[in-house]
Amino acid sequence: MKAILTDVTLCIGCQECVAACKTKHNLEPDYPRNFHRTDGLSARNWTSILQKDEHYIRKQCRHCLEPACVSACPVAALVKTPEGAVTYDGSKCIGCRYCMIACPYGIPRYDWDRAIPYIQKCTLCYDLISVGQQPACTTACPTEATIFGERDELLAVAKQRIKDNPDKYINRVFGEHEVGGTSVLYLSDIDLGFMSYPMRDIKSSLPQTTSMAMSAVPPAFVGMGALMGGLYWFCKRKDKIRQQKNDKEGSE
Amino acid sequence: MKRLMTFKSILWTIVGLAMASGITRMLFGLGAITNQSDATPWGIWKGINVVPGIALAAGGFVVTAIIYVMRRHEFSRYSKFAVLLAFLGYISAATSLVVELGLPWLVWHPVIYWQPHSALFEVSWCVILYLTVLFLEFVPVPLDETHWFSGVRRFLIKYKLILVVLGVMISTLHQSSLGTMFLLTPEKLHALWYSSMLPIMFFVSAVAIGPLMVILAVLVVSSLYGRELEREKLGMLGLISMGVLVVYGLIRIIDIAATGKLLLVFDGSWQANIFLLELVLILVLPIIFLAVKKLRYSTAGLWIATISGVLGMVLNRANIAGIMLVQTGNLYIPTIYEIFISVGIISAAILGFLFCVERFKLWETKWEDSRQEPNAQPEFDRSSEVYLGAPRLAGRTIYSMIFVVSLAFGFAVISSDRLYSHGVDDVIAQEARGNGILYIDGNRDNFGVAFGHAEHIKRQQGADSCSVCHHMNLPQDKSSQCSACHRQMYTTTDVFRHDWHASPTGANIACNMCHTPGEEKQKSSAKKCVDCHLDLYPENAVNTFESYLTVSYVDAMHGQCVTCHAERALSDTTKVAQARCPACHTGSLPHYLKEDMRDKLRQPGLSNVIIPKSDVNLELKQGE
Repeated sequence: MKAILTDVTLCIGCQECVAACKTKHNLEPDYPRNFHRTDGLSARNWTSILQKDEHYIRKQCRHCLEPACVSACPVAALVKTPEGAVTYDGSKCIGCRYCMIACPYGIPRYDWDRAIPYIQKCTLCYDLISVGQQPACTTACPTEATIFGERDELLAVAKQRIKDNPDKYINRVFGEHEVGGTSVLYLSDIDLGFMSYPMRDIKSSLPQTTSMAMSAVPPAFVGMGALMGGLYWFCKRKDKIRQQKNDKEGSE
Repeated sequence: MKRLMTFKSILWTIVGLAMASGITRMLFGLGAITNQSDATPWGIWKGINVVPGIALAAGGFVVTAIIYVMRRHEFSRYSKFAVLLAFLGYISAATSLVVELGLPWLVWHPVIYWQPHSALFEVSWCVILYLTVLFLEFVPVPLDETHWFSGVRRFLIKYKLILVVLGVMISTLHQSSLGTMFLLTPEKLHALWYSSMLPIMFFVSAVAIGPLMVILAVLVVSSLYGRELEREKLGMLGLISMGVLVVYGLIRIIDIAATGKLLLVFDGSWQANIFLLELVLILVLPIIFLAVKKLRYSTAGLWIATISGVLGMVLNRANIAGIMLVQTGNLYIPTIYEIFISVGIISAAILGFLFCVERFKLWETKWEDSRQEPNAQPEFDRSSEVYLGAPRLAGRTIYSMIFVVSLAFGFAVISSDRLYSHGVDDVIAQEARGNGILYIDGNRDNFGVAFGHAEHIKRQQGADSCSVCHHMNLPQDKSSQCSACHRQMYTTTDVFRHDWHASPTGANIACNMCHTPGEEKQKSSAKKCVDCHLDLYPENAVNTFESYLTVSYVDAMHGQCVTCHAERALSDTTKVAQARCPACHTGSLPHYLKEDMRDKLRQPGLSNVIIPKSDVNLELKQGE
């Protein structure tokens, strides 16, 4: 499973990764639009640099290990690949935007200004990583603030860095456990809680919240059919008994 | 009939307005007429039309189950009526999806691309299946008017029970799965509404409010057409609803109490108040008005109970599917066009409903019997002012005129700014003031940068270096600002002025001086700028001219400034240091900056930005 590790303390905010991403995916120039959010991500910007005081934090799709968007998509247009990337197939998409509702990080963006719109999000440069190369953004980074590799190895690297500089970092690899773990990890000297929606009560991955209800669907279907059959039989019999009673009273 | 005509005219007006907005949405995309955004991807069409629409259409399966499965034949006269309501409800929800989905012509994709983990996948399947069932349940009604397919009609009536049971089974699934959809958003949905019981709550509330919607429709029809009400039967149906409502209320209250959210209900926040309003509308008022015998069998009591229940249901679903869903702080207020479409789809459904009421024999108790009663008109009182079976196309002139006029008006009110603009107000780039030092504030938000122009000339190897930064349109220019050409912050600018080059009053160059004779006159066959303007390209020029368009002012500034800053940043260890002017300007600061920046520099976040006091005079001597 591939992953990206971004070290917030190393990022200088030069936006080379943003530029590389736009070039790689032929994304058009972006203008501020009234349907954009203020985090710099948009249908034409799949990664952005947030500035929080004097820290620069790169925002991109987290490629969750158990992605809410993938479990939400009714047509399997979004897929978690074995390499770790969450990819999007526009030819299947129907435009329901349930993935945008589902994503706990608010990542997927939409072509609001187009008559034939698609979801737009980081694909971890799936075409590159599937042939053994690394994504455009990590290639472009001049300070190695954002690096690409195997998730296990990057986790080890991150923990080693924390161990080496315990004063510099918050003792936590962001993305190791959140919503079941993500393929984009962060090391930081500030809390990155603002990057996602407030995660109250979420201990497990989001798809698990619906899996119980979804697994109850076939029994509910059959059960309701049986219940209706039973009810019909019961009511019919009740009617019949009442009928017989009436007939009896009538004949007396 | 005047009242009916006024009512229908209003509906047709709204449908016309909605049609104009709908066509615009299809041609220009969602962004052109909606305020839906990356922060609020679902708008009122989901929150008002689709989710509550499907819930309110539940009367179809509930009432038919009461009649055919539980064999309560005293409600038989509402059978066709409830099926019609459900059918129209689902059609209107499906129509809303057509405007709401980004790619509505692919709405059938869940049929071939399976994803059984998705609640929405299940809902789509069920809605498709249930629409089919409803069609089969309803189609004997219009077939009754003709002699076509009488075999099919008899077949469908004979096996109606199977359709009814299928309807119940399918409805159980998707009514509850609509709730499952929002289980996936524990971090977004407000705590008062989020509950692991959502699927059950959705199903039970649909069962409770569905019959109330049927009663409301009966009340509306009766008041419009002067039809006499069977208060007794409606009250009985209401009583059944009330029983389910009590169950629903218990589930909700116990759920809130068991998860320890009782304090949240009374914390006085606007969400808590809406929650209380919702409970009053969907639970308290209907239960009171249906529980008290005197109120239950009175027309006023039925009106209040049903309207309150239906409004409560809409509010509940709108809260879950929208209002309480996304807590990003981004405010979503629907545009007037979104409201037109939302209300227009409901209006169209009501018009279709009235058409069926007038046209078909909806009130007969038994499906089979109607043809044997030649005089069986809909049960309307035959006194004056009362519907007697109007001609099919009554009022067509007035209605079509109203529709066309409001359609035209609908197109007229759609602001062209929304369609063609970039969606932001134009921001004219501000010209820099000062000569040696330029104060550059492109978007005029008073956050500008003091740019050392003279210093940069010096560093870029003197007076010949203008075109290292400046473009070719002003060849001899020494100090124009970017804003001289890039008037608009966000739009690209023409580099090559073809008109000027060809014009006798301009450069006065003949075509074949640039374009190769005999070849098509296009960009590829023309000379490059550098072929003529060789002298203007110093060796260290960063600009090449492969495109006739330059980037926007924003991009130009970023391309020229940020690249240097990024390079500079590599050698500086801390970000803080490199963002500040002294990172490059190692000498003492100019006096005017010293005064102004002394305090600003210490503020984190603003450190790369200079906010001059309004009285600071930036006109400085060159080279200072």
